[in-house]
Amino acid sequence: MVAPTAVPRGAATTMSEPLIEGIAGRNRRTMQQFLNVALNGLSQGAIYAAFALALVLIWRSTRIINFAQGSMGMFTTYIALALIESGRSYWVGFAVALLAGLLLGALVERLVIRRVEGGPELNAVIVTLGLFVALQALAAILFGATYRSFPAPFGLHGFDVGGVNIALTPFNLFAIGAVVVVMLALVALFRFTDVGLRMRASAFNQEVSRLLGVPVGRMLTLGWALAAMVGSLSGLLIAGGSLVFPAYMDAVIVYGFVAAVLGGLDSPVGAVVGGLVMGMTLSVVSGYLGSELVALAALAILVTVLLVRPRGLFSRTAVRQV
Amino acid sequence: MNKHIGRRDLLRAGGWGLAAATAGSLFGACGAGGRPGGSSEVGITGNTVKIGAHFPLTGVAAPGYSDIPTGTKAYFDYVNAHGGVNGRKIEYIFRDDAYNPSNTSQVVNELVLQDQVFAIVGGLGTAPHSAVLDFLNSEGVPDLFVSSGSLLWDQPKKNPYTFGWQPDYEVEGKIIGRYVHRNMPNARVGLFLQDDDFGDDGEKGARAYLGDQVVAAQRYVSGNTDVAPQIAALQAAGADLVLGFNVPSYTALSQLASLKLNYRPQWFYSNVGSDPALVGSLLSRFSKGEVSGASMLDGVITTEYLAGVEEADDPWVELWQQVWDAHGGEGELTNFRLYGMAEAYTFVQTLQAAGPDPTRDGLVAALEKVGAELQGPGLAPFRYSGDSHAGMAGVKVSRLAGNSTEKLSPVFVTDNGKAEITEYTGRNPGPPPNGIPSVEPVG
Repeated sequence: MVAPTAVPRGAATTMSEPLIEGIAGRNRRTMQQFLNVALNGLSQGAIYAAFALALVLIWRSTRIINFAQGSMGMFTTYIALALIESGRSYWVGFAVALLAGLLLGALVERLVIRRVEGGPELNAVIVTLGLFVALQALAAILFGATYRSFPAPFGLHGFDVGGVNIALTPFNLFAIGAVVVVMLALVALFRFTDVGLRMRASAFNQEVSRLLGVPVGRMLTLGWALAAMVGSLSGLLIAGGSLVFPAYMDAVIVYGFVAAVLGGLDSPVGAVVGGLVMGMTLSVVSGYLGSELVALAALAILVTVLLVRPRGLFSRTAVRQV
Repeated sequence: MNKHIGRRDLLRAGGWGLAAATAGSLFGACGAGGRPGGSSEVGITGNTVKIGAHFPLTGVAAPGYSDIPTGTKAYFDYVNAHGGVNGRKIEYIFRDDAYNPSNTSQVVNELVLQDQVFAIVGGLGTAPHSAVLDFLNSEGVPDLFVSSGSLLWDQPKKNPYTFGWQPDYEVEGKIIGRYVHRNMPNARVGLFLQDDDFGDDGEKGARAYLGDQVVAAQRYVSGNTDVAPQIAALQAAGADLVLGFNVPSYTALSQLASLKLNYRPQWFYSNVGSDPALVGSLLSRFSKGEVSGASMLDGVITTEYLAGVEEADDPWVELWQQVWDAHGGEGELTNFRLYGMAEAYTFVQTLQAAGPDPTRDGLVAALEKVGAELQGPGLAPFRYSGDSHAGMAGVKVSRLAGNSTEKLSPVFVTDNGKAEITEYTGRNPGPPPNGIPSVEPVG
């Protein structure tokens, strides 16, 4: 028999259960909570990873950071929502949103970014910030600024395995799978294909690449288009089975950016690991310390990484001196 | 009482000074009212009374809340069609602040200085309205029936022109806490709270009666849509009854998170978060029939202080339906529109009480004098007096069943702090036959 003094205060309120069972139940619940919080972090992390992959892609192919990525993803997600609400299937909306992302990325590069290319890199970054605000305002005008539910193609119940709850819904599994596929595709693109090599070359040194016959302009457009498509994917993944509004990507932009920096901005694998680390850490902070500390924790991670490993955990390229 | 009046006069004098300095046109407009022989109060002419309000018509708080002023306007149009109040038609101007306090300051400035409204009626939201509290009170503008259950509106010494309307969150929390303690004494209670005054006041009220029954309290930050960690913590604490002081979108998000966690406690959402039509519409579009709208909220317990649209044979709801059919715009009558109409009804009563030549100070004095006796759509009486600007004194507990509600308790009333909770025995006589109140002017 456990001495009464050893009983934590919480257990004393379990009046209906015998004492020992109460403690065992509490331990089981504590373990279950950790599992829940960790798995929730995994599924959130997959979304940050998707977003970080888009940032990595654009960084590797153009050497700028696209702050409009989140707004672009949000915008194409609304296009999917409009299609789904008009009676089309989820997958039609999904496919159209990805294609719209591809197109939007190419258009933005050709019509907007092209004009500031060649100038200081900061100009392009500032332009993307402007786009970020403009697209959000445009979405509010076109689609309304209220919360709307976005359907998911799979179930939204967690699994129950022998009395233990697995806090991953079928849709979460789909999201994680999609991120892994994109990551592998990006690794393959940059490592094993000619196009990938040309894209990297164009980003690395436009002059030399041109002299070597690389169509630099087209490569930059392609980089933007592909990155915007991955950004659209992250928008769709975070929207599925949840609520959307024009600013719903804002948190993902911040956390996805930290994830990309964590992974070194250059490495698809690093982006995914960074995303998962962010997701898990923030979920644990939210669950055990309080949701008001989530944004602060993200900032702390960013500062720590920049101080300790400024090139990120997975970066292999040395800093280029100009 | 005298002390309040003195302070108010002082503030009013200061307000006029400021108004004169900042808006020279103000006095001109007063004179332009052109009502022979009467007092010339801002916003009042011989045949009109101009009042204003701020609401989130766009943005994240807009769903539901943007309906409220359409209800208010419909009721004022109804009253105007029946001759107005003392021959004056009510001109109602509402502006969008998107639930953003800095916008609220701007639109309320416009309403007061440019539109020159007589009073602000029903301005919505704790944070948005807090931003204009000082301005309205220093200008001496009656600030009636703030659409929020915060305790901030009941500070008659500091803010003599501001009045609450709905039951405040602490009173609601107290009644909920005692109901749970008495009827579910073995329940292990988890609190799911918005991380601001709303959650804090509700928690304070509920804990006063629940004491040891509370096993966990979790707060969410508005804007962070991932509430699974909070719900998982409530689950881990073994809570089998979750009491939510949250807004409707977070009712939907907490339901989705609990699906993921296979967590099935008894849910008890305070009045704000429980509108079945709104939450149902948010939840209904999720796929595969797994989440089927309002039915997901079956069995959820909540509180009420007005008869809702689902009680179609309630005499007040019949009146609101009639008003909406005749003067409403697009869309159905919703609980939010009904709320707006009920606030409008209380304003008409107050304006009548202020007599044939209403002044801003007269309006406030009249409400302090007769406010506690006003008979209206509210299930519980108001607590208005010289010492209290608090709104309704209580709520009843009910359970959602599909799109209707079933009553679980009589109406209980109480006050803030240590005041006891008692059953309200007064009967609601229903609306007058023509749907327009007739309150005697305060002599």
